[in-house]
Amino acid sequence: MIAAIGRTFREGIEQVGRAGGFVAESAGASRDVRTWLPRVTAHARMLGVDSLPIALFIALFTGIVLALLASYSITGAVPLYFVGTLVEKTITMELAPVLTGLALAGRVGANIAAELGTMRVTEQIDALETLSYDPYAYLVVPRVLAGTMMFPIVVGLAMVVGVAAGWAASVLLLDLSSPDFVKGLRLFFTSFDVRYGLVKSASFGAAVTLIGCMTGMRAQGGAEGVGRAATRAVVYSAITILVLDAFWATVWLLGKSR
Amino acid sequence: MRRNTDFVVGLTILLGTVIVVGTTLWVKQVDLRNTHDRVTARFRDVGSVRVGAAVVLRGVNAGRVQRIELGRDGWVEVTMALDQKVPLPAAPVVLLNESSLFGEWQATITEESAIPRDEAVSRQIAAAREAGGEMLPGATLPDIAQLTAVAGRIAGDVASVASRVEVAFDDQAARELRGSIKNFATLSAALAQTVHVQSSNLNALSADLRGGMKRLVSSAETVQRVAERIDSSTATGEVRRIVSDVATAAAQLKEASEDVRTMSRQLGRSQGRLESLLTTSDSVMMKINAGQGSVGLLVNDARLYRNSDSLVTELRGLVQDFKANPKKYVNVRVF
Repeated sequence: MIAAIGRTFREGIEQVGRAGGFVAESAGASRDVRTWLPRVTAHARMLGVDSLPIALFIALFTGIVLALLASYSITGAVPLYFVGTLVEKTITMELAPVLTGLALAGRVGANIAAELGTMRVTEQIDALETLSYDPYAYLVVPRVLAGTMMFPIVVGLAMVVGVAAGWAASVLLLDLSSPDFVKGLRLFFTSFDVRYGLVKSASFGAAVTLIGCMTGMRAQGGAEGVGRAATRAVVYSAITILVLDAFWATVWLLGKSR
Repeated sequence: MRRNTDFVVGLTILLGTVIVVGTTLWVKQVDLRNTHDRVTARFRDVGSVRVGAAVVLRGVNAGRVQRIELGRDGWVEVTMALDQKVPLPAAPVVLLNESSLFGEWQATITEESAIPRDEAVSRQIAAAREAGGEMLPGATLPDIAQLTAVAGRIAGDVASVASRVEVAFDDQAARELRGSIKNFATLSAALAQTVHVQSSNLNALSADLRGGMKRLVSSAETVQRVAERIDSSTATGEVRRIVSDVATAAAQLKEASEDVRTMSRQLGRSQGRLESLLTTSDSVMMKINAGQGSVGLLVNDARLYRNSDSLVTELRGLVQDFKANPKKYVNVRVF
């Protein structure tokens, strides 16, 4: 049992070390601009633009449900225009980044892991190396950059759609006028709310693509190994998103509230 | 294909950025076209007012707080962006206050004469005005937490008083209170009776007073009539005659006074004689009392009195005997 604990600890350290090595290799490969730059927009389209429908769909229903939930929770002594405040704060700072991040972790992370995993098990990555291509510059850096860049765009639009959906739901489904919702929306709004959500989503984008690339490039054992890599990418990405969410809240919100 | 991808990605990034930034600016009500007037007010403390808080003029939203910064000499300067063409009241002051129970604050622009009658607020306004400059004077009203704290303190005091009353108001006190109430009821009844009697007396007195007033009015009328007569007498020369008669009477009175004075002098002399007579009498009486002289002996010596009395008796018998038998004592013989 003691040996199992030691082994688990050693493997954990090895994972962290390998992840650190992977990140360092990727950072080093980012100097090879001519290799990764032409491929960034293609990945940006696939990771960002093509993910907009699912992200906006999630935001749309999240906004509606959140408005109804807020009105259900704050009826009584609290004025109903606080629905606007609650929708704005929750969507902008938490739900849009995290839900979109989790959704894209499934879609993008699994996609990257499967793609790179297949390339690994079919020795395409080895072929790239043979042809003197740096697989990190060719495969990893454009994906990570595209993810880091496009996640905030997708999340920003999801914020707008989520708040707009909450507004529409409040006006159409609740006994709340449009000026009242806007009053609540503006009541405690600061630009920090948006900055916080966007920075967080950029970190989620970087984490999801890095994890997808890492698990894909280490895939072993044929199709089964590719599936395992995709699953691992989604699980690790989801966990990392939640950990990063707590990290930003601790670092940024805790500092502001003091 | 690649150009199409670049275009789509670029468009997405551009649109996404524009939408997010535009929405943020709209929610923040950023004045990009500079269509607002700026007014700055000075405060010692701004409570929980934040940038973006509403600025209210006569209950209507007229702008928002644009900037809050620390100034010199411990002041806080609050810049407000007001909608254009919003006229400020005469002698404007700015009050920061809570607009709801949920931590919302607002800045209210009002006339100085309309501020709440609160010593602390007036002091803040006066201090901000004394600091000079073009900034509006401002004051911060107490927030709900402070009011709650005061209310809590009052509630504590009331609870303390209630507990003391509870301690002091035991069964004995209740019995005594009941007795006091009973006594008070008795006293009240007696008082009511007295009041009733006094009321009757007062009524009688009032009636008398009314009668007196009537008589007084009657007397006044009489006096008025007399005055009228005097007035008419003055007109017919009767007053001169009366004055003449009065002069005559005064002369007679003077004569009488002279007579009285003469009489008084004579009385004085008579008094002196009387005093002399009394002195003499007193001397005689003293001698008599001392048993001097015949009368004194007679008065003071009982034996002599009895002898004298006996002598008188015998003398009276002798006289009777002499009257009855004169011949016994008188024997007149001529020859």
